[in-house]
Amino acid sequence: MQPDAEVRVPAETAYVAVVRMATAGIAARLDFTLDDVEDLRMAVGEACAMVLSRAAPDGSLRAGFRLSADRIDVEVSADSTVSEPPDPASFAWQVLTTTASDVHATAADGRVTVALSLVRDPAGQPA
Amino acid sequence: MTDDERELLTPRERSSALFALLLAAPEGEERARARATLIELHLPLVEHCARRFGNRGEPLEDLVQVGTIGLIKAVDRFDTDRGVEFSTYATPTILGEIKRHFRDKGWAIRVPRRLQELRMSIATATAELSQQLGRSPTPREIAELLGVEIEDVLEGIESSHAYATLSLDSTDGSDGVTGSMLDSLGEDDAELEHVEIRESLRPLLEELPPRERQILVLRFFQQKTQSQIAEEVGISQMHVSRLLTRTLSRLRSSID
Repeated sequence: MQPDAEVRVPAETAYVAVVRMATAGIAARLDFTLDDVEDLRMAVGEACAMVLSRAAPDGSLRAGFRLSADRIDVEVSADSTVSEPPDPASFAWQVLTTTASDVHATAADGRVTVALSLVRDPAGQPA
Repeated sequence: MTDDERELLTPRERSSALFALLLAAPEGEERARARATLIELHLPLVEHCARRFGNRGEPLEDLVQVGTIGLIKAVDRFDTDRGVEFSTYATPTILGEIKRHFRDKGWAIRVPRRLQELRMSIATATAELSQQLGRSPTPREIAELLGVEIEDVLEGIESSHAYATLSLDSTDGSDGVTGSMLDSLGEDDAELEHVEIRESLRPLLEELPPRERQILVLRFFQQKTQSQIAEEVGISQMHVSRLLTRTLSRLRSSID
């Protein structure tokens, strides 16, 4: 994915708040509703936690955003030595799939990635 | 100096006389008394500092108590040769203890008053607009109604996430709920019965306080939106968001 916006921070829990804030800022700029903004913030926070639990120490945590009028695609990733992707049967996964669309996770080539999207609900549109 | 003479002095003069005594007197009763009097004399300063942190959910008495620890430290460390007023010297120490108390409690160190007020206005505006529009408002719509920037709205929401802990026994005035949170809890267990939850997850969910569990189930197992939950449970959307965020991080740490 070639991101339109990207945030890169040290792969530490303390920086997740920064990523969440940037996420909320971007979604608000694109006029998503507060419900959507908060859902995406939560989903990205969860994705960060998921990725960080598999991240190599001293690496970086990256969140890339692709922006369009009706959706935001996010990829959260970190350097990792683990080859197991996050477990789709976990509660964290349930949180992700409830708060975001098109969720998928990969672990390959020394990188663990969680991708998710926020899609604008045509029924809940601002006029 | 007799007690009568002491009464005639200003607190400041009295304070420096006592410090002179404290530093000159050998270990003993007189020294201990000077120290105790100094602490007592400056208690209003502690109260003043503690008041600056009022309305943050911590009882004022607790803040005065931890602030007093700061005051005692300051009395013991004060050096009259430095040429600064004791109150000038003591204030940062007192504030430091109070802030540490908030930090230890897992609260935000300092949410400025401006943000607290903004947070309240956002909650009100969100409720108003949701009613009016029949859907969740956008941050821009909230910003326009309040005459502020979108960033201010986001900052206000973020600051509400900073308020991490709230006892279930405390009343939640900001959301117009009367009585304690525990009183407002309803038939949450019935909700757990009707959803399909993996067995491995049940014990974790059952450990949660009833309201947190109810909100979690509504959101993640019955796919309700935050706004719908807010209406159903009778709290603000921001509060739903706050509780969900907190519950998720709690679950995360118990799974790890």
